[in-house]
Amino acid sequence: MQNEFAFFPGCVLTQAAIEAKMSLEAIAPILGIKLKEINGWSCCGASQAQDVDPLATLVANARNLALAEKMNLPVLTTCSTCLLMLRRAKAQLDHGEKEKINTYLAKGNMNYKGTSEVTSLLWVLAQNAEMIKSKVKKPLSGLKVAVFYGCHSVRPGKDLGFESSTNPTSFETVVKALGAEVVPFTKRLDCCGFHAVYPAEKSVMKMTSGIVNSAAESKADCVVTPCPLCQMQLDIYQDDAQDTTKSKARVPVLHLSQLVGLALGLSAKQLGLDYNVIDASKLG
Amino acid sequence: MKFIIDRFDGKKNYQQTYTVEKKDIEALTLLGTLLFIKQHQDITLNFTASCRMAICGACGVRVNGHAYLACDTKMTELFEEYKDADTFRISPLSNYTVISDLAVDWEPSIENLRKVKPGLVAKSEFSEKEGCRQNQEEYDRIVGQWDCILCGVCASECNKLSADRSDYMEPFVYTRAWKVANDSRTKDPMIHVKPTVTNGLWNCVHCHECTNRCPKHISAAEDIAGLRAMAMRKGLNSGVGPAHAKSFYTDLVEDSGRLNEIRLALRTEGMSTALRAAANKE
Repeated sequence: MQNEFAFFPGCVLTQAAIEAKMSLEAIAPILGIKLKEINGWSCCGASQAQDVDPLATLVANARNLALAEKMNLPVLTTCSTCLLMLRRAKAQLDHGEKEKINTYLAKGNMNYKGTSEVTSLLWVLAQNAEMIKSKVKKPLSGLKVAVFYGCHSVRPGKDLGFESSTNPTSFETVVKALGAEVVPFTKRLDCCGFHAVYPAEKSVMKMTSGIVNSAAESKADCVVTPCPLCQMQLDIYQDDAQDTTKSKARVPVLHLSQLVGLALGLSAKQLGLDYNVIDASKLG
Repeated sequence: MKFIIDRFDGKKNYQQTYTVEKKDIEALTLLGTLLFIKQHQDITLNFTASCRMAICGACGVRVNGHAYLACDTKMTELFEEYKDADTFRISPLSNYTVISDLAVDWEPSIENLRKVKPGLVAKSEFSEKEGCRQNQEEYDRIVGQWDCILCGVCASECNKLSADRSDYMEPFVYTRAWKVANDSRTKDPMIHVKPTVTNGLWNCVHCHECTNRCPKHISAAEDIAGLRAMAMRKGLNSGVGPAHAKSFYTDLVEDSGRLNEIRLALRTEGMSTALRAAANKE
């Protein structure tokens, strides 16, 4: 197993989703995963900056990838939008843009070669499900989990491509390895709306609420997502969204790394469960 | 094996199950399977189809909740995708009004297409007699979007349209606008870009369903991003959407290189709205 990675935290893990970073850093050593943060990484553009300047966004991600290449390591990120932006940039660079973009990187004495692959925590865990099983200390037996993939974990398939985008299984594989029960959940591949929460607030609140209600109908104890942006949308905005649609249901929303941590026997405090807005303390 | 098909007779919705032998349909396309059912089991089953070669765009339907162009989808692909499932659910395209069974109403989509002036308005140097020439490079720039066959698969899967279609248009409408706006023969790109701005351009939720499902491998989401960048360059940058995108760009390129999440709401919504929102949260 590849167990050492150039770690790309993305802006959200250093700010709003600090609990995602805490829990990731708590589970990684137990799973034998070494994460070396990329020194000097920048924002990936967050599926927003390309609307202003696609070239600058591509240069920024070429730079991020070049920094990882210097470490001779594949890149690992937990944020699905970072995953998409980095992988899309890599695809563009490897299919014709490399030379042009390297002229910009040269100004900072950098060079993109194309030697570092980009992967996600979810994918690495899914590829090593048997290993995870062997590390589980407190199997999550009886815990009903609604798995929420988040768009940029699977779509567009041409940029992500790890598995089928209409019928993915990686997340179920991981959650089952932890001993939890995956409940049928009709919204598991839907969009939480995060990226348009400002311009299309009304629609987004409806989308968020629909996901929470669908999880509640499935009698899920929690929603779990690999993407910290989906987690933020479904957790921080859950009260607002449920008020908008006059729904009473509330469901805790965990980061994938928090759920893994629970099965590894880590404490609620180590996993930052008290940072979750919808009370998740009874899960810890 | 079974096909559960969503039906609508003009008054009521119901599901009908058709049982077929796998050997009879496994070498067919999805459209072939629908025709097989119609021919051998139920002449009343309604769906639209014409060319059978992915040109006319008439036969978009959903399988297990995801849209496909029926004539362009082999049954073997579906067996592989859904792990040898022995039951498939076939439904009409989502985000459309159903007329009958799998046939949907295209009129509202055509109305939206009209809004972006989908035809070429050529530069005055071109004439009917001389034609509208463009070189290979200019042609290549738009040839991908040219492939759009208006099948509606992208619109069916669009999460924004599902939430509320009153302030958004079908993804292919934005793609069409991008194509004519980026055609080297176009007199004024903005006659196509402007109507997208006033018809939901900034409301895309970035779910990438459109890109993912397009049978012609067109990325409407990228065309939407392209239209946004064109609009911004021409100074159409007022409102929450442009301000939000601009904050990411400013932090990335002109500031620390990382997003300042605390400043984001202020930059996006302006000082007074952000403070009001913060006060509400407390």
